[in-house]
Amino acid sequence: MALSRREFLKRTAALTAASLVGMNLPLKVDRAQADADRWVRGTCRFCGVGCRVELGIKDGRPVAIRGVPQSRTNMGYLCMKGMLFYQLMRHPDRLTKPLYRESKKEKFREISWEEALSIAAKKFAESIKNHGPDSVAYYGSGQALTEETYLFQKIMRAGLRTNNVEGNPRLCMASAVGGYITSFGADEPIGSYADIEQAFCFFIIGSNMAEAHPVLFRRVMRRKLDNPREVTVINADPRRSPTSRIADIHLQFKPGTDLALLNAMAYVIVEEKLYNEDFLNNYCTFRVGKEKKEVSFEDYKKFISAYTPEKAADICGGNITPDLIRKVARIFATSPATMSLWTMGINQRIRGVWANNLIHNLHLLTGQLCRPGADSFSLTGQPNACGGVREGGGLCHILPGHRPVKVDKLRHEVEDLWGVPRGRIPAKPGYHTIAMFSAVNEGKIKAIWINCTSPAQSLPNCDKYRKGMAREDVFIIVTDIFPTKTTELANLILPTAFHFEKTGVFGCTERRSQLTLKAIDPPGEAKPEVWIAREWALKLAEELNDPVIKKCVEPFLGLEPGYELPKAIWTEYTQKLTAGRDNDLRGATYEVLQQLPDGVQWPAPTKEWALKGGTYKKFVRGLDPLADEHAIDEKPYQFYGPAHKDHKLWVWLRPYKGPAEEPDAEYPFYLSTGRVIDHWHTSSMTGRIKELMRANPYAYIEINPKDAQRLGIKPGDMVLVETRRGKNILPAKVYEGPMEGMVFVYWYDMAEDRMINRVTKDAFDPGSKEPEFKICACRIKRLSGPKPLKPYLVRL
Amino acid sequence: MGSLLLPRLAHAGLLKSPVGINHLRPPGAVPEEIFPAKCIRCGRCAEICSYRSIRVLDIRYGVYAGTPLINVEEVPCYLCMKCVDVCPTGTLRRVSQEEVRMGLAVINRRQCVTWRGLALCRTCYNVCPFKEKAIHLDQLRPVIDERFCTGCGLCVHGCPLTPKAINIEPVYAFERKSRDVREEEAL
Repeated sequence: MALSRREFLKRTAALTAASLVGMNLPLKVDRAQADADRWVRGTCRFCGVGCRVELGIKDGRPVAIRGVPQSRTNMGYLCMKGMLFYQLMRHPDRLTKPLYRESKKEKFREISWEEALSIAAKKFAESIKNHGPDSVAYYGSGQALTEETYLFQKIMRAGLRTNNVEGNPRLCMASAVGGYITSFGADEPIGSYADIEQAFCFFIIGSNMAEAHPVLFRRVMRRKLDNPREVTVINADPRRSPTSRIADIHLQFKPGTDLALLNAMAYVIVEEKLYNEDFLNNYCTFRVGKEKKEVSFEDYKKFISAYTPEKAADICGGNITPDLIRKVARIFATSPATMSLWTMGINQRIRGVWANNLIHNLHLLTGQLCRPGADSFSLTGQPNACGGVREGGGLCHILPGHRPVKVDKLRHEVEDLWGVPRGRIPAKPGYHTIAMFSAVNEGKIKAIWINCTSPAQSLPNCDKYRKGMAREDVFIIVTDIFPTKTTELANLILPTAFHFEKTGVFGCTERRSQLTLKAIDPPGEAKPEVWIAREWALKLAEELNDPVIKKCVEPFLGLEPGYELPKAIWTEYTQKLTAGRDNDLRGATYEVLQQLPDGVQWPAPTKEWALKGGTYKKFVRGLDPLADEHAIDEKPYQFYGPAHKDHKLWVWLRPYKGPAEEPDAEYPFYLSTGRVIDHWHTSSMTGRIKELMRANPYAYIEINPKDAQRLGIKPGDMVLVETRRGKNILPAKVYEGPMEGMVFVYWYDMAEDRMINRVTKDAFDPGSKEPEFKICACRIKRLSGPKPLKPYLVRL
Repeated sequence: MGSLLLPRLAHAGLLKSPVGINHLRPPGAVPEEIFPAKCIRCGRCAEICSYRSIRVLDIRYGVYAGTPLINVEEVPCYLCMKCVDVCPTGTLRRVSQEEVRMGLAVINRRQCVTWRGLALCRTCYNVCPFKEKAIHLDQLRPVIDERFCTGCGLCVHGCPLTPKAINIEPVYAFERKSRDVREEEAL
């Protein structure tokens, strides 16, 4: 803030006086807002809710962020992360120059972009020449813009001929993708946030949305508080979280027993004939096994008879009783509209897809779907996991527009649209995340590009994978804005532009694509990723002497990287790749997105439809243009999802399966991890916002008071947490959060002692390949009394 | 109470207690009335405090020079309870964590962004060592329960706003009788 000399003198005088009485001077937050001379519209950089924000600029410097009241996602409301992230744009820790080191033992030295891109291209080319195309990989992020993910995967697949394109969404919503595709035949939720205001029963399972999706949770809370008698909130979670505080019923079950609970609810629905026979007859079939064999309702009834509430209550433990399961199932089935919400508690399971299926089952049995307020709604963690990675082809097995890699017809379609020779994209899916970093461990991958994420901290059992990343024969390129645990293992660090320093689209949880405009220039020599990828591809084409690589970026040559380049990429992606697919975004051009206060929900095949905001509910005739287009009969709902040729929804017979690692005599506690409202993921960003870091300077371990008393642990004591994979030393917080026999740790802390992913387990779902972060066995021990701890951030 | 906020005048300050909003005595302190008489200014509490929460007052504080004070806005008290163990005079009484009453957190609802409905913040709730007891959320808005609040100031320290929307008022320090006596009388 600029100060006049007179103001400065006045303030210093006041400061001197104030320091004598020892009080702080008011420096108003609101003042900065009023001072801004220009507001630029965009989307919040953090969670998957997709709040619309405006960045305030004064004299070319970002000074404030405020919500956009006309937005249909947040209605102008923000959380503290969203309000404060403008501080990161001019943060002194920002990476501003390409940094390089030949060996990981050396120190980084500054190099020019020209040199950096040449090295990047050379290393990838060398690796491909000597070890084949599958020796290189791209590991992206659900926080990269859609344009970035799309361009990188295009270069990797069509240019370098490998499907080794992955991203951190594998760690957070791969099971939800699997669940939607197997149950509904199409990825992503049917409904929208708007259903919250019309729902009468909320079934929140495995989600602490009060911390992880705070602004959306506020809508749920408002709905409940405005209609306290009509609306019921059911929360199922082993930990009592801020989310449980508004719940009418809190189901506290042992971690990993969710499948039994959900099947038992289905049992009650079937036993008490609470199911919707019309809906089942018209729209559903029953399926079982890997071969997706169709079975009858009778078979399903027989299968479900094994999951009586009595048996489930036995398995689930905690406060679960048969009567409670019955009660919850009745409310779920008979409420005028039930909405389920879930996140990582369900997805991060070794049977995450099954858990997703079982939630969908409840909706299919009761017909709580496609009506206003009735939906089976998976919440996404990251701002662009849906838009960029799920839709843009950011995972090893999918191409843009929800096309599985292994389907020849669809793969050739993509090759034709890109104008590259057929057969350019390999038919075999690449390595999924855990396999990719295992391949790094084994030395099968020689060069990897890590963009906008920090796997060195965010992978489960990360010590194991850090060993591989530290290998001298693995060349690691990291594109990021701040130093992270991963840049510590990099050979080449490329500084990138942050949010609002480049233009691009984020697609949030409810199929909504929203544009963020460039407002300021990036600091130093930082560049937008789309520019980096384009220039790198040109160098690769030279190195490998392959004109097809150049062909991949040909439509984008010479375009200005701040706006024109991402626009051209978005146009190619939407007009060509999403045309005729279920995520049709042809109407959502940059011009349309700029006109709307929020954004467009796909399917939006035409501009007219997009300007109305797009599709609020999929599959409903009259509401979804594709439902009319693909209609096969006169029924009001048309389930045209590309994965189910029979246009039906599938009720799955999924047996109970416990977690990969259960407590035993040696490791008697369940360990679970999660998020706190003030920090985002690995805290490389939020840790640099002083207000947020002061609020949560380090992670702690939450222990149930009963366990704490038994083990002689007092609040603040230092506690040793050990699992079969490693140990952490954390201060204790004793409170009635986690159930007895369970402890809970936040995962944002970067300090080696408190980095909980060093001890979590890397077992994963065989279907979705998503690891089971949330459950493993541990033991805890009091080490000492309270000790002063310092917040820790990786610096260069 | 209000007079504590006025700028300290050199001559008047010599007898004026330094205890005020967010400026508190360490855990277990006897009432302010007798504190300067009882405390021998040995500085052991400040020495043992590994968080450097406790500061020893300098000469500007007149008769209070040498006594310990915690400014929770700068460094709050983490309730490690080491100071009460080393106090040789009983000026800091050996209370347990839960019994500490350095003051009472008070939320300024006109300042707090959550109460004003501007944004969603519950930092004070998250950092509280007695969360759900000393602070709970009512419609996501923080509410203090004076039965459990120790006045440790973690919430003040954490509060992202300037000026702070939550402050510790030293409500117990100026009571004429100690809490023990009061409780005995109540029985």
